Amino acid sequence: MYINACSTISHQNSFQNENWINELTLLDENNELITPNYKEFIAPTALRRMSKIIRMGLTCAKDCVKQSGIENPDAIIVGTALGCLADTEKFLNNALTLKGLIPPTAFIQSTHNTIAGQISLELKNHNYNVTHTQNSLSFEHALIDAILCLNEDDSNILVGAVDEEIPLLGELTGQFGLDSIKNKLTSSASFFMLSNNKTETSKAKLVDSYTVGLNTSDSKKIINEFLERNNTSLADVDLVLSNSYGTVSDSEIKNLFDSIEVIPVEQHTGYHLTTAAFGMHLATEMINQKSGNQILIYNTLNNSNIGLTLLQSLEA
Amino acid sequence: MSIYITSVGVISAIGLNVEENYRSLKNKKTGIAPIKFLDLNKNILAGEVKLSNEDLIERLNVSSPISRTSLLGLAAAKEAWKGHQHNDAIRTGLISATSVGGMDNTEKYYKQRLETESPDISLVTTHDSGNTTERIAKALGISGYINTLSTACSSGANAIMLGARLMQQNKLDRVLVGGSDSFTHFTEEGFRSLMIYSDEWVKPFDENRDGLNLGEGGGFLVLENDKSLAITNNKPLATLAGWANTADAYHQTASSPDGKGATLAISNALKKGSINPSKVSYVNAHGTGTPNNDLSESVALINVFKDNVPPFSSTKAYTGHTLAASGAIEAVYSILALQHNVIFPNLNFSTPITDTKLVPVVNLNKEQEVNIVLSNSFGFGGNNSTVIFKKA
Repeated sequence: MYINACSTISHQNSFQNENWINELTLLDENNELITPNYKEFIAPTALRRMSKIIRMGLTCAKDCVKQSGIENPDAIIVGTALGCLADTEKFLNNALTLKGLIPPTAFIQSTHNTIAGQISLELKNHNYNVTHTQNSLSFEHALIDAILCLNEDDSNILVGAVDEEIPLLGELTGQFGLDSIKNKLTSSASFFMLSNNKTETSKAKLVDSYTVGLNTSDSKKIINEFLERNNTSLADVDLVLSNSYGTVSDSEIKNLFDSIEVIPVEQHTGYHLTTAAFGMHLATEMINQKSGNQILIYNTLNNSNIGLTLLQSLEA
Repeated sequence: MSIYITSVGVISAIGLNVEENYRSLKNKKTGIAPIKFLDLNKNILAGEVKLSNEDLIERLNVSSPISRTSLLGLAAAKEAWKGHQHNDAIRTGLISATSVGGMDNTEKYYKQRLETESPDISLVTTHDSGNTTERIAKALGISGYINTLSTACSSGANAIMLGARLMQQNKLDRVLVGGSDSFTHFTEEGFRSLMIYSDEWVKPFDENRDGLNLGEGGGFLVLENDKSLAITNNKPLATLAGWANTADAYHQTASSPDGKGATLAISNALKKGSINPSKVSYVNAHGTGTPNNDLSESVALINVFKDNVPPFSSTKAYTGHTLAASGAIEAVYSILALQHNVIFPNLNFSTPITDTKLVPVVNLNKEQEVNIVLSNSFGFGGNNSTVIFKKA
């Protein structure tokens, strides 16, 4: 399977910038979420009603269509851990405080499938359309579904993940005593066009993605078996992009990956539950720039769940 | 490769298990009534499950805080999972569907936040949909592939077909699939804001229908492949014969007047199962009772079946609209129809829709063989899904 387009809106200069991985910074409080010129992608009347998560998701999706030239993908698959939080809070607040008729827009846009639905509307696409929402593994589950589609009759799949930060989330995180995360909550969207066909825009190969929920067994074994099923081993992995944010200790990471270089994705994206999607875009560009032949994306943002995604260079 | 359904579980306004649901369906007994068990201080009609959270927690022997959505899901999943055990040789997964997730607890928190100084923040720990599913998985001792789908009112049907696809591609041997949603102030006010919440008993497919009654509940099915059956020795109740998921791409909430997405879902599911439309014994319609859905769905039925629309009915007038759970609950009803050769009556119908003139089944029909049942689920976001069950 080939990754024929990638698009990311994040706290890095990642949108429509071929060179963004060479401009990566370590995230600090000065990094803001980038704001593309959304009007280039979405009609102003529609844009006014859209919350951050919908704009981000829809814009990355349309950018992938533009990059790949695939205007009618065979499936649209979205992963989101917490969905449309801003519209959910807005409608919840209205429903509890307003008397009489409440405006319906926030309710309409509060369901998790709003982003995938809006993409199908914009692309006038009638094909398979689904939204996965399994907290830290939402993106991996979307990818696994995309792989199923590519093994069926489909050729081009638009798949991505998006999550948004809202002030209430920060407030609650603080009240739960998670101060290290509180100041690092962020939003991002990353979308991809996956294909069975290698084209001139192909940047890397997606080999496989795999999840274990409510894991009770040995992580090392899970990783080794995953690589083995894909006819490779840790010895041939050049780089690990980890999404763990303190759930796994440095010594455990060392124990799992030994001398392989490990880059924590969160140092560039901040904290939300679908950062593995950002990781996949990062890995794709690194492979495209020959910084590695085989990259593993390791996700334990929720420490009882493991997500593994393997990418290879086109030549591998 | 066959996908066998070997057991089912359900909880809804018309019963706490499969047997009670079947009895109510046969006896034309609705579960829609003024709210009594939910702590919401409302005087409205809804398809409420007739147990308080406290009773559910005690019966299911789980710890608080837990969302009502998890409780309803666990009640149905536990019934379906009865007799099943962990076995290293059977790769097992759980896929649940939900639209509101832990909103029932979140809205309690938010209300406290608006009204008091010290709201109970533990209530929001059950908010995310993935947590809803993980609570079910934990209680049943399932680990590995655990996933949640959220495609509004078509979610339950999508959980069923995703389970089947994972089995077809040899990723899993046995999957517990289904969904649950609880009644919430949030969703009730949402449908009111769209002016499609009826304060009368819902009238699916009637010319004078004026909206839906919200319901709640859970439905689960165990899907197994041949390898799993050889180990469990379970007897199939039915097979999953076809499925399709399509997008209407017309409007974020409304269905297209030409029933484009629904037509594609029904016809693609028939094609997937290589089923001749004339062989369909019964259609369990989505039939929410909103002016828009029932017209669009009727048009889609005519688009696919022309002059030979099979006997059809909506069971929403029994349960209310259970949102993400509806596709799973109605899958259980479809399997009951196959097992007992019955077609369940559509309640509260008197006048056909002028434009389409379709008349649903209104009396319990038990004179015919029921061999193939098609079940529709359509949702917000234009997410349309159809699943087809066949006698084992």
